[in-house]
Amino acid sequence: MSAAAALSCSPTGLDDAVVEAAEVVAGHDGAAELMVRLRHGNGASSFVTLDPAAGFDLLRAAGADNLAALAGRPWRQIIRDL
Amino acid sequence: MFDLIIAGGTVVDGTGAKGFIGDVAVKDGRIAAVGERLDGDARRTIDATGRVVAPGFIDPHTHFDVQLLWDGAARPALAHGITAVVPGNCSLSLAPLRAKDRRALVGMFQQIEEMPPEAFSEAFEWTWEDFAGYREAIEPGLSINVAPLVGHSVIRLWVMGEAANQRAATPDEVAAMQDLLRQSLDAGAVGLSTSFVDVDENGRPVPSRFADFSELDALSAVLGEQRRMLQIVPEFYATDITIARVDQLAELSLKHGIPTTFSPLFDNRLAPENVSRVLTRVEEQFARGAQVWPQMQTRPIDISFSLLRPSLFFARFPRWVRVLRLPLPERIAALKNAEIADKMIEDAGPDGGMAAFGELVVRAGEAPEHLVGRTLAEIAAERGQSPARALIDVSLEHGLDVAFVAASRGHDDTSRIGPMLASPFVHIGASDGGAHLASFATYGDTGYLFSEFVRGSGALSLEQAVRKITSDTARIWGLKGRGELKPGFAADVVVFDPDTIARGEERPEFDMPGDGMRYVRDSSGVETVVVNGEVAWEGGRYTDAKSGVICPLN
Repeated sequence: MSAAAALSCSPTGLDDAVVEAAEVVAGHDGAAELMVRLRHGNGASSFVTLDPAAGFDLLRAAGADNLAALAGRPWRQIIRDL
Repeated sequence: MFDLIIAGGTVVDGTGAKGFIGDVAVKDGRIAAVGERLDGDARRTIDATGRVVAPGFIDPHTHFDVQLLWDGAARPALAHGITAVVPGNCSLSLAPLRAKDRRALVGMFQQIEEMPPEAFSEAFEWTWEDFAGYREAIEPGLSINVAPLVGHSVIRLWVMGEAANQRAATPDEVAAMQDLLRQSLDAGAVGLSTSFVDVDENGRPVPSRFADFSELDALSAVLGEQRRMLQIVPEFYATDITIARVDQLAELSLKHGIPTTFSPLFDNRLAPENVSRVLTRVEEQFARGAQVWPQMQTRPIDISFSLLRPSLFFARFPRWVRVLRLPLPERIAALKNAEIADKMIEDAGPDGGMAAFGELVVRAGEAPEHLVGRTLAEIAAERGQSPARALIDVSLEHGLDVAFVAASRGHDDTSRIGPMLASPFVHIGASDGGAHLASFATYGDTGYLFSEFVRGSGALSLEQAVRKITSDTARIWGLKGRGELKPGFAADVVVFDPDTIARGEERPEFDMPGDGMRYVRDSSGVETVVVNGEVAWEGGRYTDAKSGVICPLN
């Protein structure tokens, strides 16, 4: 799944969304995937799951070299830099 | 005279009823009698004292399409007590397929199954184009029963050629697909499979993903003529889209009177509400009269990786991420650089990576045989190194082509998954048997159901667990006269030890065409497997029985 495709899975209200947490999870095919949990301005939460290529792209776009550094980052800002 | 009596076991008949000590008699391939003590002679009697006698297990999500051409037992599925499999999932089947389209389909199959190319060039002869021809090709060699799906992607490929993965279909093309689907169902297909997720070997979406809803609606209308199954792979990584697919399936189910199923459905710690939200919607749709069955696997998911390709497994370790994202030559140079390697090891924790990497297990591949199956902690101790150092050095010594597996890293919380599996709205399946050959073993999920969720957590009773993978499956899929130990039903029977049935350790097996490797798990506790009245597996060995059939349908 591409990063762009994954991002299209996110609900509306992205302007307010921040990364609440990110975790490595086991994907269906045995690859490590990146699951990002978002907290939206209205209090709702959602998540997107990214394959390895998209996950590394996201880390790069966020200027983060580890998962903890993603927490609190504005989602809109990250995907603008993808 | 009966052909066979299985005597004195605990009969768990697949209905969910309490097991009882009794006998099961077989004649002419069917269950002839079931009772506490049967009178009458038999050509053979099997003493099942202390064992459970149950209907053969049914695996509703497999990719054995290719393997069945040279291995009618779908090994090792039969050895795990499975007497019927459903191949052709995820929009891909081996028929209908024109000769000119074989190469395109092989690429898609290799992407999903990881089958070596020799499997398609050496292991069998392509003798068919239509679905009836594929059936004729596999049926004589079957020792397991098969209920094959026909794949939406190959139907599109037949009708649209190269345009199949470029655009939506015209009304004439949709009509031609309907005819082709109808022919396939008439030839014994149990239903249609489609996918909203899968890609081919070049990362392009498979043809089914180019269909619009009206195409799926038209094909579902054909399924409705015979009340056959629609199987889909939804966007399972996103809860909201999965729920939307549940609603879509419900509309098709209600409109055309068909059962539908989707797979997979996973539990996940970071999104703990995922399964409950999906199941709530499923329950609402069942209340409306729709049939939308989510399939959930029993086994946890493992992560496998090597240092050859960047893996997100290392995403918690900044220095590892920086090095592993380098192009391969620079990556190898960085790993050989003592200063950089020291910092990476420091990054892995004050314990030298014992907590982070110690439990990683070396897999087959380019790794030397003496390392395969051992943990990094063991190897590191032997080498007098930290696990992080051993991870780097062992990889470097073999051109980075050493695969490691981190076991149970997803869908692995037994206390949560047990109740999910026990839900009346969850269909136990999604094993993917016969797929992902070079990545992990897709066998033994039934043994794991009993060892982990019956004996272990007690989330399901023995009778519940048996019912979930026998009569429930037969009923959901419309398999005629299977899934219960009942007079007149097909004599598919498994005899197992309830105290020991389990899946074995994952191990490499070089039994694919061209000496290709796959990961397998042996069964444990399964003593005898009977298929249509003939003993097909017994005492740890496959017999010569070829009693499998293409499953008759209701």
